[in-house]
Amino acid sequence: MKGRWVVVGISAAALVPVLALLLLVLWMGFWQNGPGEPIVYTLNHYRNIFTDSFTYKTFLNTVGFATTAVLVSLFFAVPTAWLVERTDLPGKNFIFVLVTLGALLPTFFTAMGWVFLLHPRIGIVNRFFVDLFGLQQAPFNIASISGMGWVEGLGLSSIAFIMVVATYRTMDPSLEEAARVHGLGIFRTLRYVTLPLTFPGVIAASIYVFTIALSAFEVPAIIGMSNKIFTFATFIFYKIQPLEELPSYGVAGAVSTVLILLALLLSWSYFRVLRFSHRYAVVTGKAYQPRLIELGPKGWLLAWSFLGFYFIVAKLLPFLLLIWAALLRYFQPPSWVALSQVSLNNFYGLPWKLMLQGAGNTLILMLTVPTLTLLICLAISWTVLRSGLRGRLLFDAVAFLPHAVPHLILAIAAMFATLFLLHNAFSLYGSLTILIFVYTISRISFATRILNNSLAQIHPELEEAAFVGGLKLLQVMRKILVPLLKPALVYAWIWMALLCYRELTMASVLVTSQNNVTLPMIVWGLWLGGSLNQAAAANLVVLAFMLPAVLLYFIFGRRSRVTEVA
Amino acid sequence: MISISGLSKRFHTGDHAVAALRAIDLEVGRGEFFVLLGPSGSGKTTLLRSVAGLEKPDEGEISLNGKIVYSRSRRISAAPEEREIGMVFQSYAIWPHLTVAENIGLVLTHGRSKMSKKSAVEQIRRSLELVQLENFEDRPARLLSGGQQQRVALARALAVNPALLLMDEPLSNLDARLREEVRANIKKLATQLGITVLYVTHDQVEAMVLADRIAVMAHGEILQIGNPFELYRSPANALVAEFFGSINWLRGKMLDANHVETECGVLCVADSRRCDGAVIVGIRPEDVRLERSSNEDENRIEGKVMSSTFLGDQVIAEVKIGEKTLIAKAPPDDREPSKTVSVHLPKGRLVVFTEPAAP
Repeated sequence: MKGRWVVVGISAAALVPVLALLLLVLWMGFWQNGPGEPIVYTLNHYRNIFTDSFTYKTFLNTVGFATTAVLVSLFFAVPTAWLVERTDLPGKNFIFVLVTLGALLPTFFTAMGWVFLLHPRIGIVNRFFVDLFGLQQAPFNIASISGMGWVEGLGLSSIAFIMVVATYRTMDPSLEEAARVHGLGIFRTLRYVTLPLTFPGVIAASIYVFTIALSAFEVPAIIGMSNKIFTFATFIFYKIQPLEELPSYGVAGAVSTVLILLALLLSWSYFRVLRFSHRYAVVTGKAYQPRLIELGPKGWLLAWSFLGFYFIVAKLLPFLLLIWAALLRYFQPPSWVALSQVSLNNFYGLPWKLMLQGAGNTLILMLTVPTLTLLICLAISWTVLRSGLRGRLLFDAVAFLPHAVPHLILAIAAMFATLFLLHNAFSLYGSLTILIFVYTISRISFATRILNNSLAQIHPELEEAAFVGGLKLLQVMRKILVPLLKPALVYAWIWMALLCYRELTMASVLVTSQNNVTLPMIVWGLWLGGSLNQAAAANLVVLAFMLPAVLLYFIFGRRSRVTEVA
Repeated sequence: MISISGLSKRFHTGDHAVAALRAIDLEVGRGEFFVLLGPSGSGKTTLLRSVAGLEKPDEGEISLNGKIVYSRSRRISAAPEEREIGMVFQSYAIWPHLTVAENIGLVLTHGRSKMSKKSAVEQIRRSLELVQLENFEDRPARLLSGGQQQRVALARALAVNPALLLMDEPLSNLDARLREEVRANIKKLATQLGITVLYVTHDQVEAMVLADRIAVMAHGEILQIGNPFELYRSPANALVAEFFGSINWLRGKMLDANHVETECGVLCVADSRRCDGAVIVGIRPEDVRLERSSNEDENRIEGKVMSSTFLGDQVIAEVKIGEKTLIAKAPPDDREPSKTVSVHLPKGRLVVFTEPAAP
């Protein structure tokens, strides 16, 4: 069949660049000198990073940062998931939606809010305590490993929540009911049945969150870099965009290779643990809701206090501080004097022309990237699940790589390629095309996973009936598969469009001119340039632009499908 | 033992509410094996779960062993762990992270009885003996077969010496041969221990084998309560009659208290249940007698055998009377019934219901 080879060809064509980018990173790590000069290979970069004490410090920083993030995210996610799935707390749907949407809130947004709150010099909480008790030193420091871990953990708590909820949902509720009817109370049931059974799922979620935090860029970039606290991600970034010296791609390549290996190792252990946790999952086919635990008014009060605290620190407080900062010329704690200086000048003073350009680019990205990704991933999913091709599992494995490999590194490899390898053939450097290309590649894992899940639920006989009826493969895809997969496609499209909108990590490397500037990059540019208050104002404008897209998500994309993100 | 009155429960799915239980009244005596029988969606599982405390009803009252465990008007709703019951779930609900002994031990040491670890060991052994699973103590539960899990679930439910044992379709996940074996064992255990059992099933044979009494449920209501014989011979309505095996229906009209004009002519009936006007008359296939010679009995009609199927222990025949076709079960020695037969419908075996209940 000709159509078959077209589909397989599309998947292969999309997956080859993934491998190429990875090999490029590996290659980069052995370059002695800068590009443009004759290539001399060396092992020095590896020798240096393994002997340099700064690498070890960065490693400890990164692990400390990621561990804090895991602990913070679990601290909020596990009780919230339990409350939503197992108790009679009123307003559960609302909580579910709010927490899920939290996954879309840009991390650089909350990170800025926290700087205004807890920065040792300007943070209002610190200023308050210093003035009140006449302290020599600020009591809190957000520009520290634990501070950054706290902010990252708040951001990742949404994803952890979605994963833990999934664990609860796949668990046979009669396992808990059996404990209750045989005399174990709520707390004993929780301790001897619920927690041990959900433990593997929680561990899997921890590894997942840890992997993301390990290569997280936004928080360390917003909070850490200006205070000379580096994690692996910002260290790599600093090596290719240093302030004073020349970029050293060799070191960036070597560190990236180590980080990729670490991430692959973590992903492998994630799947091991996940498989273990699936052993406990029972599909009963019985569609009754488990008995909900009655908290009573006292319990509700306690639960709502906890959730209220969560929402305030994770969402509301950073938001309020950004508004406050956006209204002031210089950041200062709230006071009568400060109140008299409140104005909209920061908004008037924004680089509106650039912002319009950025908004246009961002819109193009939001429309093209999800569409391209879904076309490619439909081909990949079909190849993996339906083609019967030998080596189809290799497609699945490669499609998973963009999840495990830090996106920052994908972007660096692409940037390197456009700058030094392809520059004679195509001028992609600083173009919107390269952004579309890398964004699309980075989302392949997410979309294949969703499409694989949905395609696996469609009986192959539905397609076979169409083949027997004389339809060609591409017609079958258009007439049978796409309509049947529509809910998954719509959901994945909207979710990816929203992720595109808030993307900063890859843009930070690839956006090099006004041609391909995006909205988050403008905010970041203002922030790095030291105009914190203008950055806050720009951030609010960016968030306001995002609202229509979130509304779309509400209307078309919201279902229990969110659990598939994990 | 169990006393239920006016129990109602509605489920809300989206905008509309579905009544799962409509004002259920039920009394189950001590030591009785009581089966709730009905098709899926009849409310039988909801009723069982309400007794267990796993579902909270909207109206009514439940008391177990003379103690009120749920009452809307008195605002009582005891938690499941406060009701002295044992329960076997449809999925067995064997905890996969524990061994067989730990599965039973957990409810003994941390459940209502708060037994010491030491005395629990003895009790675990005894309850495993009851279900013939000696020496399975240290087996990880998730490595057990379905039949073994089922037995562990039963052992766990019995280990706490419950006054009441609840069973929710415990045999539905077993294969046919095993099902018969376990069924017999459950019946034996229940009699031996003198325990009260409330048992949910959709299988009428299972219900008839096990039950002292059966409540037939549909659409959240109890249609009839009785022992298997009563339910089979004198069903309260057409639905119950249909649920217990196949039955032939004839449309008709009451002529007087004992005579009905039907599609097959005027029939004499013993049990007319004070019906009048349009009725349906039912007769089970094994009660349709096919005879060659015609005696001077009542309810004897000329019929024509259209087809007959030999099944070894019986013959299933389709008999046409006028425009109506009846199914008859005849003894196997009558292998080739003559084309024209005399059909006898014994009046004691005819059941009559008012028309609207027609299936």
